[in-house]
Amino acid sequence: MMLRNSAERWGPVSQLLHWLIVLLILGLGVVGLIMVELPKSPRWFWVYDLHKSFGLTLIALIVLRLLWRLVAGAPKPVPGTPHWQERVATITHGLLYALTFAVPLSGWLYDSLSGLRPLRWFGQFKVPKLADPSQALAPVMRDTHEWLFWALIALVAVHAAAAFYHHLFKHDTTLTRMLPRRRAASSDPSPVPEIH
Amino acid sequence: MSIKTAFVATALAAFALPAFAADYVQAAGSSLTFASKYEGEVFTGKIPAFATKLSFDPAQLATSKLDVAIPLAGASTANADRDDTLRGADFFSIAKFPQARYTATKFRSLGGNQYAADGTLTLRGVAKPVTLTFTWTPGAQPVLNGKATVKRLDFGVGGGDWADTALIPNEVAVSTKVVFAPAK
Repeated sequence: MMLRNSAERWGPVSQLLHWLIVLLILGLGVVGLIMVELPKSPRWFWVYDLHKSFGLTLIALIVLRLLWRLVAGAPKPVPGTPHWQERVATITHGLLYALTFAVPLSGWLYDSLSGLRPLRWFGQFKVPKLADPSQALAPVMRDTHEWLFWALIALVAVHAAAAFYHHLFKHDTTLTRMLPRRRAASSDPSPVPEIH
Repeated sequence: MSIKTAFVATALAAFALPAFAADYVQAAGSSLTFASKYEGEVFTGKIPAFATKLSFDPAQLATSKLDVAIPLAGASTANADRDDTLRGADFFSIAKFPQARYTATKFRSLGGNQYAADGTLTLRGVAKPVTLTFTWTPGAQPVLNGKATVKRLDFGVGGGDWADTALIPNEVAVSTKVVFAPAK
């Protein structure tokens, strides 16, 4: 199996990272929105700890994903895509990468600025603080973290809508090339004869 | 002056002089702080609005007494989230118990200018013995530098979900510096 990306398809490494990051973004978002409603008691701090630990994991994964993209390349836009759509897609992808990095980073900064508790990654090791505690900046960073998250979710919605548009209306491989091969109808080993 | 008058004056002086320690009230420059840990990370707090009354004479420990009023509403650890929790029902519960109080009438000399007061702390509706050890620096404005260890769980401070001493140790270190002025 080819691990790298080809001009036509995303390889398994990029696919795994893409879908892991999708799961993390959605899971972190749901937990993040719920945890702030929990009573502020040590009984529930494990939820915060999990949110923060998975958030730090997301930073590592997005860095890994960008590095892998540098090594393994990326498929070209499917043939027939208008130039302006290519431009919009490129900008959207760039913003998605940037926000996927910035949202957890702002959360880490917020944790540092609030200065309440030490942060241990899944209870394993102490994570360094990025800044000294600040009562003035902590609420600003809290809001930044939340608004960056909503911006990311809006972009994810645009990105997913574009993928479905390609799949459902353009009938091209934009969506399926980010899916494992056996689910991609175009590469089924026993293809249904097509009428040309 | 008749012999009789002289006798009465001497008797009065003899009665008045040795009986009572000097009275003091708290002056500017005083502080009351506490230190604890959360998951191993130290934090400190201040209780700015405390007020001390003291009758003290190193030579008259038996008649010395200390009375400290400690309003808890102003207690601050420089973190709004933590302070909200501290003032809330699980910790100081200031809505029910707005003020703590420390009183002592038993003083011991520890040698030099060091003393101990075996007093009673009333906190969160619970009164328990707490010993304050301090140095006494005499002068026109005498200074008391004291330390005490308060077992928070004895007073129900941080019970329930917060009772785990791996999270917050039971022993809270309290420090105070009180500058005194003679009471008028």
